[in-house]
Amino acid sequence: MTNMSTMNASAISMPQHQSHDHHGHGPVLQYQPGLPLTRGKLIMWLFLSTEIMFFAALLGAYVVLRFGASVWPKPHHVHLSEPIGAFNTFVLICSSVTIVLALEMARANKTTAAKLWMVATLLLGSLFLGVKGYEYAAKFEHGIYPWSPRSRVFEKPDLYYGSAVRARLGEPAMIDRLKELDDTPESQLTPDVVSARRRLAKVRQMVANPDQQPFDLAVVADQVMPLPVEHATAVSHDATETTVGGHGGGHTSGLNDTFPWLKLPAVIPGGTMWASTYFLLTGFHAVHVMVGLIVFTILLFYKLGPKRAGMIENAGLYWHFVDLVWIFLFPLLYLF
Amino acid sequence: MSDHDAVEANASHSHASETHGPITRVGEMPEPGNHEHSSHGPGQHSHGGVGKYLLVFVALCFLTTMSFLTFTSYWPWRNEPHVGWAFMMAVSCTKAMLVVLFFMHVFWEANWKYVLTIPAAMMAIFLALMLVPDIGLRNRMVSQERALYMARPSDVRLMEQAGESQLLTNPTTH
Repeated sequence: MTNMSTMNASAISMPQHQSHDHHGHGPVLQYQPGLPLTRGKLIMWLFLSTEIMFFAALLGAYVVLRFGASVWPKPHHVHLSEPIGAFNTFVLICSSVTIVLALEMARANKTTAAKLWMVATLLLGSLFLGVKGYEYAAKFEHGIYPWSPRSRVFEKPDLYYGSAVRARLGEPAMIDRLKELDDTPESQLTPDVVSARRRLAKVRQMVANPDQQPFDLAVVADQVMPLPVEHATAVSHDATETTVGGHGGGHTSGLNDTFPWLKLPAVIPGGTMWASTYFLLTGFHAVHVMVGLIVFTILLFYKLGPKRAGMIENAGLYWHFVDLVWIFLFPLLYLF
Repeated sequence: MSDHDAVEANASHSHASETHGPITRVGEMPEPGNHEHSSHGPGQHSHGGVGKYLLVFVALCFLTTMSFLTFTSYWPWRNEPHVGWAFMMAVSCTKAMLVVLFFMHVFWEANWKYVLTIPAAMMAIFLALMLVPDIGLRNRMVSQERALYMARPSDVRLMEQAGESQLLTNPTTH
């Protein structure tokens, strides 16, 4: 800012300088006050204001898509775990505190303490990414991908869904596996698996039947991956606790859970659009977290004293913004 | 970093006064003494330090627990999701304000903060609103063909009925 003021002043002074030169004294300079912040911080704030609009576009698109959709999956339908999301929120809030403390320590010239808080921030950020990766893996396991050829999510139990299940069951590798399962004597299997095998046999009959009714395909979809039923009317604490704790919400677990190799297409009404928005929002957020972690790693190579306080402050501003985005993402994605 | 700037600025400043004569100062000038002060916002060393941050941290944790409450059975408005949504957005905005004001030091900044944040926030709101006519209301009127292929609440009900029917889980039915 000061350099800029100097430049302004010299630009203004030029004509005066020429006219007053022969009198032996210099021209009168007028200084323009600059913004009361360092250039690094100014640029960081300008960058953050573009980031506000970037994430506002993403979040706005999500909100508008979600409330404009005729059906949107409940968090349980897409295997989101609220406690994990809340834990990740807690992790990011902690990391925001540690980076603020790193800055305070650096300003107080406590370089070792500053470095330790910086390491803590780095670890918390990595923990956040690790939990996010675990959540992504759970989605992929259930066939929820943001793109079409890999995604096994269907919007509704219609004829397309039935034919997709039939196609999957007709794959050569699948025929071998199913034959192997059929040939296993009942004594070698647990009662659960025996029951699941019987249901799978019925599902195979149903999708092969050319006279199948829409309700048959809904039964097939429910068997493959049931939509956990929310007992909205029953506010009894025991009922909700089973919904919260149990994977299937007190429901029978799906065939895809009992036989992980089966990987049958599943029906989640509204699930394809949900997957697109979920992966876009959390993916861009995760990229921002990664960039933050890279910055913190670079900062660890410096002596974190008052001389580096500006750098830490700017990295901190960015990190708090990443935290800020998650503050809105968590309720919108996990609790709405 | 700022110290370096201050030294540099001071050097060029004295140089300028030597060659160009007297300097009229308009408004606040960065003296070597108060430069540190103005570059980090007034009151940088006077806003309470670590204790204040820990207080904000406790408040943030409390607010996160509050929004998590809507998910548990202790939330009294489980049948009216709009109440929960409004509550969660209020909680989120409060948390965002806490982070921006205290962790990002905006509370102690000079008035430039309004120049950067208010236009960006307004743009952000308009950006979302402009999506409403085409995207938000896209399902108000749909062609018969699209209605055939899109998921509808009836599909969810159909699947719930299928789950409740216990058609295949009960061994006696077949």
